[in-house]
Order: sequence, then structure tokens, then C-alpha cells
Amino acid sequence: MADVVIKKGLNLPILGEATGEAVVLERPKTVACRPTEFRGFTPKVLVKEGQAVAKGTPVLASKADLRFVLRAPVAGVVKEIRRGARRVITDYIIESGGDDVAPMTKWELPALSGIEREKALEAALASGHWCALRSRPLDSIADAAVTPQSILICGTETGPLQPGANELLGDGDLEALQAAVHVLSALTDGAVHLTAMRGDVHPILKQVVGVERHTFSGPHPAGDATVQVNHVAPPTQGGVVWTIRAWDAVALGRTLLDGAFCADRVMAVVGAGAATPRVVRTVIGAPVAYVLGDTTCSSRLICGSVLSGSAVDGQGWMTYGARALHALPDTVERTLLGWAVPRLGTWSFHKAFLKGFLPSGPQDLRPGLYGGHRAIVPIGHYGDVVATPDIYPAFLFKSMFAGDLEASIELGMLDLSVEEAALCSFICPSKIDFCGLLDEGLARYEQEA
Amino acid sequence: MRAVFEGLFDRVRPPFEEGGKFRWAWPLHEGAETFFLTPGEKTESGAHVRDQMDMKRLMIFVVYALVPCILMGWYNIGNQAFLAEGLANQTWMDCLIRGGTAMFPIIMVSYMAGGAAELLFCIVRDHEINEGFLVTGILFPLTLPPTIPLWMVAAGIIFGVVIGKEVFGGVGMNILNPALTARAFVFFTYPAEISGAKIWDVAGPQAGQGHIANQWFGTNGAALSVDAYSGATPLLATANGPAGGDSVAILAQNNWGWMDMFMGSIPGSMGEVSAAAAIVGAMFLVVTRIASLRIMVGAVLGVVAMASLLNVLAGPESVAMMTLPPHYHLVMGGFAFGAVFMATDPCSSAATPRGRWIYGFMIGVLVVIIRVLNPAYPEGTMLAILFMNVFAPLIDHYVVKASTRRRIARMAA
Repeated sequence: MADVVIKKGLNLPILGEATGEAVVLERPKTVACRPTEFRGFTPKVLVKEGQAVAKGTPVLASKADLRFVLRAPVAGVVKEIRRGARRVITDYIIESGGDDVAPMTKWELPALSGIEREKALEAALASGHWCALRSRPLDSIADAAVTPQSILICGTETGPLQPGANELLGDGDLEALQAAVHVLSALTDGAVHLTAMRGDVHPILKQVVGVERHTFSGPHPAGDATVQVNHVAPPTQGGVVWTIRAWDAVALGRTLLDGAFCADRVMAVVGAGAATPRVVRTVIGAPVAYVLGDTTCSSRLICGSVLSGSAVDGQGWMTYGARALHALPDTVERTLLGWAVPRLGTWSFHKAFLKGFLPSGPQDLRPGLYGGHRAIVPIGHYGDVVATPDIYPAFLFKSMFAGDLEASIELGMLDLSVEEAALCSFICPSKIDFCGLLDEGLARYEQEA
Repeated sequence: MRAVFEGLFDRVRPPFEEGGKFRWAWPLHEGAETFFLTPGEKTESGAHVRDQMDMKRLMIFVVYALVPCILMGWYNIGNQAFLAEGLANQTWMDCLIRGGTAMFPIIMVSYMAGGAAELLFCIVRDHEINEGFLVTGILFPLTLPPTIPLWMVAAGIIFGVVIGKEVFGGVGMNILNPALTARAFVFFTYPAEISGAKIWDVAGPQAGQGHIANQWFGTNGAALSVDAYSGATPLLATANGPAGGDSVAILAQNNWGWMDMFMGSIPGSMGEVSAAAAIVGAMFLVVTRIASLRIMVGAVLGVVAMASLLNVLAGPESVAMMTLPPHYHLVMGGFAFGAVFMATDPCSSAATPRGRWIYGFMIGVLVVIIRVLNPAYPEGTMLAILFMNVFAPLIDHYVVKASTRRRIARMAA
């Protein structure tokens, strides 16, 4: 058991935190699977347009491993399969109707304890929640052909306005989490790690057995699975470590115990653009407009956090991975001589704003760039938000810009988390998009490897 | 007011945009617009929200930090000119007027000539104006004597901007500090104008004729008749002292006490005379987290270590400089100014925390070595910083290599 104190990072103070009990939404008229969100997943269509599906019917399978399927979150009819560039499936839309439920193998909790690897693998791949398992390094969907060195169940979330264990886990989820732990234990030869925030450990995370517990404390990205892997179980000798978030593990476990696909999704509607920031209970792939409810102004809608989330159309659907929908007001105010005046009212990570010296609460941050694109000037602040040890971000980014893959890997490209890259982008006075840079670097690595 | 500017720029912008008649002058328009208004551009990828800190603010804060040095230099130029003429007890207003006539033409020429070179590069290469020039354009003149001919200022800053920065690709890509590159160019090309006994001839007839400011504004009547002033800086006076001499006593003969040098009431280059002003600037830069405290402290430690060592080694035959105590080294010449504003330039300094300690320390050591052991140059700050600029990538290389080795060892475990 490790108690890791993260000192580097930044908790973004942003307006619009969700409060209160989860509001249960009615079943949406349409839902969608969005396979492009899963890195390394090439889908094969199992149910064509116009055909009926039950809740939990496998609708898409991985071309690389047909056992790995995505399941329909609701019963109904496949309304449309939208494709983007190169005919890649972007939205697999199901019109809901009926209450049919596709039967699945139902497991008893004791039977899962000590389950064989092959059986565990079959069950997990077929559960419809395999896509929640990510692989380090590369941050792609876990490859079933590989045995991970260990698996980390991340029970923490520190992203801006993202719901965490307290919002997403219920006291009744212990059995489901335990079932997932049994299955995950069978998938790895090593340990199953479970992480929680120090001083704020959810009761079910305390009660689950068969795991190595670790606690983390500190600012974001202390709650990020990648950063946690880098601290407690870094992959060695070219091996891989898988990660899954505790609430996704619960969905996996519940599917196995109920013998029916668990499509429930608790998510938070946050941001200054949302009329009432709230927690809602709906299904996977619900329409964005339906989850969002009323808005206060024209907003950029983001699945996930303002740091690493993806912008989504108001007519689109939520991604599988997102546990929050952020409505970010989409207007940017310009300031007269903003670069030269003290700026009493402007919050900044940097201390070059008077407000940086005063206590301040949540801020109405906007999607402005607030500066021109420049070359990297290493004033030494990237290192203040990168929590992975032994990385010099400025040097890593420079080698990535230069396209030097070998040097980038040596400098830690494969260890850097998306959250850390996003934080570097946030604080960067040169306004560089390090997330895009990291994506490009990883894509090149995959290509050449 | 903001709306007025927004409306104005919205109207003026179209011909400068893609396909417009003045597309080639886009950097000029962009520079003007973002001078008055923060950019309204939205994020398209990466983090959706961004901090409001940008390069312009970063650079203007360095200029703000320079204000105490500018003020002290401004006053001191006038003060020293009056002293040289034997006109003591002038009011501070007289000193400012006198100092301003010498100082501001130099600063204006630096900004105009360097700015023109910068703009030319931006237009030819079609990139936005690098605001790093805000800093270079003021740092360079502050390292010059007030007697420098203006054409030399122009030649120096253009060399610094073009060879020190733009040929490498602009701010962030440069290896050497552009302001120091400019100064080194002037120093080695026109040594007679920038060093030696002529440095403080601002009051003398020759300088009066040579300096355009003095031609325009005169030097208040009696000044032109005074030419007997020796005009050495404290460092030069100490360097020229007799072997085995006591450096503090030599300085005392010239009425230069430690406090005079700390406050800056001594002859020297325009902005670097006052260690006190540099310290105020340093505090501003450290509190706003713009410059590295490690480099500054490292440089001070380097000076203290090396000067103490040489003090111990000083014998009866050794040069007078050997006996100069560390705390004198810290306040003399351009060290304080250089350590705070030049050495900490993020582009040309070491970028790793440990590397910054080493880089700063070595600058301190080299400053003392050049001052004391090199007979050619009484001042070593510029050379020490440029030398360590060249070595900064090497220092970083080894610091980064060490961390890489740690990570690889962990991955192989």
C-alpha cells in the first residue's frame, strides 16, 4: 500500500459545479454508440440499419477480436449508422422502443472468485464494458491478447467539475465492484491496485477485498489513472498495465451479476452555461441536448472536462467515457491593453496578475486563447503541473515538435498523461496545444512500432 | 473605450486578412490589434480553456522590473555628468533633465532600429511580431555608456535582433541572449567607445560633439569647458591599481564606498550602476514568478565562492583585483543587472532546475575569473553570461540525461 502525495498540478477553479441528488431522466428517444472515442477499436457492424435490437444486444464488434463487443444501451431499432471521413463509423444511432432485454450469462459472486483467466476474459469482453479498460502506455483500449502486468482500478477523479466516487458510487455497488475485482484479478498475473483520495475514501472502496489499496492526495492530476500508474505500478520491460475507473468496473460487475447489460449512467451537467448544474441518471450514449436541459447562454458543449474533454454538437450524443457534460459559455471578452495592466479581476495560474495574490473562488473561465501562438519559452512552469516523476516537459515537447520519436520516448512521451498535457496547454503562455502534440506523437509511435 | 477599439479594428482588418490587398502586412496589423486588445481568438483543440497569461504580458513584466534600473540610470547619468564638470549639488530635476537627454535618444533608437529589423523579419517570414523585442530593445541600451554614438546603438541592436535571434527562428529558438549579443558586437567592434577611460566623458567636449543628444540640447554652458575628468569606472580603477594594492583603498581614494556602488551613484553603463535597483527588479520578477531565483542565487554564490578563494590566494605581488572582497564584486560593474535580467533570459539560460543552479553558479565564477585574472577586460559579466549561454544546452543535456536514466532503470526493473 502506498500513500502518494502529489505536489505538482493545478485544480482549475471553474464555475458551475453540480450539486444535489441525481435526477432520474426518462429514457431518451435515441441513443448512440460512438466508436471513434475508443483508440485502437475498429468496429464491425453486427446489426444493420432498420433492424430491431434488445437492450444489451451486441451491435458493434472489434474487427481485431470479435469477442469484444459494444452493446445496445436501449431496446429499439437501429435508426442510422453515420460515417465520417474514410467511412469511419462516427455515430451508431438506435431509436428506443420496447423493453426487450438480451439475455447474457448470469454469474454468482462466489463463482467469480478464482475464475479461470479464459472464462474471465470471455465474460469481460462480452460484457459491453471492455471498452472501459485502457492500456498503459499508449492509452488505447486494452488488448485481450496481452496479459497485463497489473491492473489499476482508479477510484478517484480530480478533473475540473468532474463527478468522483462520492457521486458515482452507491453503497449498493459493493457486490458489483467485488465481482469486477474477481474478474480483473483473473486477467492479470500481477496485483489489482485500487486507488482512493486520502481522507475521502468511499465506504465500498474500503470494503472490497483482493486488491492492493493506495491513496493519493494533491491537486489535479493526482486523481488521473495514468499518473497513478506512473507512481504505483509503472509498466516495465515493455509490458503493459491496464486501468479502469471504479464506476466503470461497477458497471462491468453489475452486468455479470445481473446477466443483463448495465446501461445506467450517472453523469454531471456542469459549467456556467448550464441553467441548473446537476447530477442526472440516464443511459449510456444519451443525447446531449436531453442530458443538458436548459442553458443560460450560447455554450460550447464538452463531453468530459474542459481540459481533456471533446467538444460535441448540441445535436450529438454523449460518449461512453464521459461522466460530465460541461456547458462552457462561448463568448470571449477582449480587454483593452490587457497585456500591460494589473488585471485585478482575472484569475491566472501565473503570478503576473494581481488577482493571483488574492483568495478567489470559482471563476467564469471562457474558451479564449488570450494570446498569439509562439515557440516554447521554457520559463519553467510546465514542470509545476506535471506530476509524473522524472519528466522535463519543456524538453519532451521540444523533441516532439522536432519529430524525434526516439528522444521523445526517452524523455517520457509514453508516460505523460493527457491530463498533464492539457494542464501544460492551459498554463502555456505560448498557447501551444500539447494534447494534439501528444496525440500525434503516440500515433506516430503506433505506426512505427 | 474597448468597444471603440473593437469596432475600429473590425473595420480596418479585412484588407490584411487572407486574400486582402495588404495581406503581406498582416503581422503589422496583428501586432497593432493585440497591442490594444487581448486576442478574441477561441481555442480549437487541446484544453478548451486557457490561462490569460501570454508572451506579451511575460515580456512587459520584465520591462516593468527594469523600471527601477531605468530610473536610477536616468538620474545617475545627469548626476555623473554634473560631477564630472565639478558641478555638485544639482537638484534631482536637473539631473533627470540632463540624464534624459542622453538616455532617451539611445533607447528610442534602439527600439526603432531593432523594431524595424524585427518587423521586416516578421513580414518576410509571415509570423506574428515577437514581443521578446520589448525586452531586448530596452536591455541593450541599458548596458551601454550614455556617450555611445546613436548609429552604433542602431548597428548593435540590428545585429542582436538578426544574428542573436531571428536567424535561429525567433524568440524561444535563440541560443544567445540577443541583448548581450548586441552588446558584445558593439564591445568588440567599437571597443574605444564602450570601454576604457572614455566611458564617462559625457561632460567632455569631444563627447559633447559626438553625441547627438548633446548637440541638440547642449550640456548646460560651462560643461563644454571641463575636460579634466579621468572618467574610469570603479572596476577599471581597481583593475589599474598597483600590484599588491588594496582594492578597497583604491576605491576609497576615488570616493567610492560600498554603499555608493550599491545604490548606484557611480559612473557606469546606463542601467547597470545600481545593484539596489536590480534587487528591486529581481524581487518583482521572483514574486511574479517570471525569472528564476535559482539562477540569480546561483550567480551570487558563484561570485562569493570564487572571490573568496581569490582573496585567500592574494599575495603581495598579485594584482589589486585579487583583494576585492566578494560583496564588492556583487555591487560593481554590471553583475547585479546581468544576473537579474540577462542571465535569467529563459530562452538562452538552462531550463532544468538543477541546471539553473549550475548555470548561475558558473556565471558567478566566470565573472570573477574574467574580472580578476584576465588583464584584457576589467568587466566579465557580459562574457560570462554569453559563455554560459553557449554551455546551457550542455548542462541541461546532462541533467535531463540523468533523469532519463532513472526512468529507464525503473522501466527495466
